[in-house]
Amino acid sequence: MKKGLLGTMMLVLSLALLSACGSANKIVIGAQTYSEVKVIAEMYKALIEDRTDLKVQVKPDLSSSPVVINAMKSGEVDMATLYSGEIFNNHFELKTEPKTREEVVEAGREGFAGLGITWFEPYGFENTYAFTVRKEVADQLGLKTISDLKEHAKNMKLGVDTTWLERPNDGYKAFSQHYGIEFGQTFPMEIGLVYEAVANKEVDIVLAYSSDARIKEFNLVTLTDDKQFFPPYDALPVARTKVLEEHPELKEIIPLLHGKITLDKAIALNYEVDVNKRSEREVALEFLRKEGLLE
Amino acid sequence: MSDFFAFLVERFPDLLKALQEHLIISITAVVLGCLAAVPLGILLAGNRSKWLHSLVFGIANIFQTIPSLALLALLIPLFGIGTKPAIIALFLYSLLPILRNTYAGFTSVDPGVIESARGMGYNKAQRLFQIQLPLAFPYIMSGIRVTTVYIISWTTLATLIGAGGLGQFIFSGMGVNKKELIFLGAVSAILLALLADFVLGIVERRVSRKVKPSQSASAV
Repeated sequence: MKKGLLGTMMLVLSLALLSACGSANKIVIGAQTYSEVKVIAEMYKALIEDRTDLKVQVKPDLSSSPVVINAMKSGEVDMATLYSGEIFNNHFELKTEPKTREEVVEAGREGFAGLGITWFEPYGFENTYAFTVRKEVADQLGLKTISDLKEHAKNMKLGVDTTWLERPNDGYKAFSQHYGIEFGQTFPMEIGLVYEAVANKEVDIVLAYSSDARIKEFNLVTLTDDKQFFPPYDALPVARTKVLEEHPELKEIIPLLHGKITLDKAIALNYEVDVNKRSEREVALEFLRKEGLLE
Repeated sequence: MSDFFAFLVERFPDLLKALQEHLIISITAVVLGCLAAVPLGILLAGNRSKWLHSLVFGIANIFQTIPSLALLALLIPLFGIGTKPAIIALFLYSLLPILRNTYAGFTSVDPGVIESARGMGYNKAQRLFQIQLPLAFPYIMSGIRVTTVYIISWTTLATLIGAGGLGQFIFSGMGVNKKELIFLGAVSAILLALLADFVLGIVERRVSRKVKPSQSASAV
């Protein structure tokens, strides 16, 4: 009796292990920790599984874009969403000085091609860093642009994500030099926490992500980047060049979302997940059906 | 290697700041844990009611099994972000090891020794401080040392809720793909834990020498 049970368990275990190994027809989509990227990953999963016989696994909550890029370089992730401004994060040597949205995407396409990663056309929205304060504070201190912060910053507590303070070209150091602004105290934390942190007055100002629905939800105000420090951050799909060669069907499917997601639509997607607490998969399927991309 | 040292020198002020934040959180959590768990352990050891025993250990056990990041996140609606929820979460984690070891230490004292002490006229306080506590001390200290090492390690997660600490180097290093940062954070946390264990070891030896169990009792 015991031998039979042990044998069955071994069989089940080895089957489970073997099925995990079979990756010939499997695509892995990696996603960072914010909702819009996870929803888009679920959209691609639905599209790919509907139109091909490939299986898709979504790996959500990879802690940052460089983690996703490293995973792609090592072949553990096949597709992802990146933001064009990531080219300033020391992944390759920038030979030009791209300024406009198109220039940045082009520079990214060229640079990442050398890393074995193909860039596709953008979805249609940007998600940039946005200095955000409570509405009362903006009214009280007359804050409309980032430059307005100059005298007040040293008395303010800034909430940021875990990496902005260290980012080389679009991070705190470069920002301080560009604007001549330094904050009194900085509190790095998981980006999802900054919105409540500033709404609850635990910090005075945060560097939010501009497509997050919680900016409006918590009645927060974004300051204009009047000295144009932050580069463009167009969201776009990327895929491993090798995987595209092995599965050329993907080259037809990935562009399906090109231009389909405007900033308002991205904010709406984020709203459904972050405020209405719906699952990313549900929101993705609803979007695809509405756009006529899925039955 | 020399690059790393240059990097270390450059980031030294940040390292000091992070160390300070890290130590404040860890030490406060462990001290509060001791203040709560040691008396509680002594009380439980002297108490007969099994249900109280199960209740207290049960609760401490539950806190222990909650994944550290989850506990940090769960406390945010109650205590906001920053050092407060971090200290409270880590304090809750420190309870079980110290409680269990204190309890084990006290129940390991031979009842015969207590009886003879009572017979010789030691009152409750004297039995506690001159016999039980010294005998249980190695157990309690072991619990505190283990807890301290765990807490220093778990404090690296506190950065995710805005409490700073050495974890900041690890997470930002992951975010900007700079291995030296990750290294700096991880190695500092390891060294800190080893140092803390070493210091507590010295404290343990010193105190053991001073608080030798009462001669007459052990002569029985």
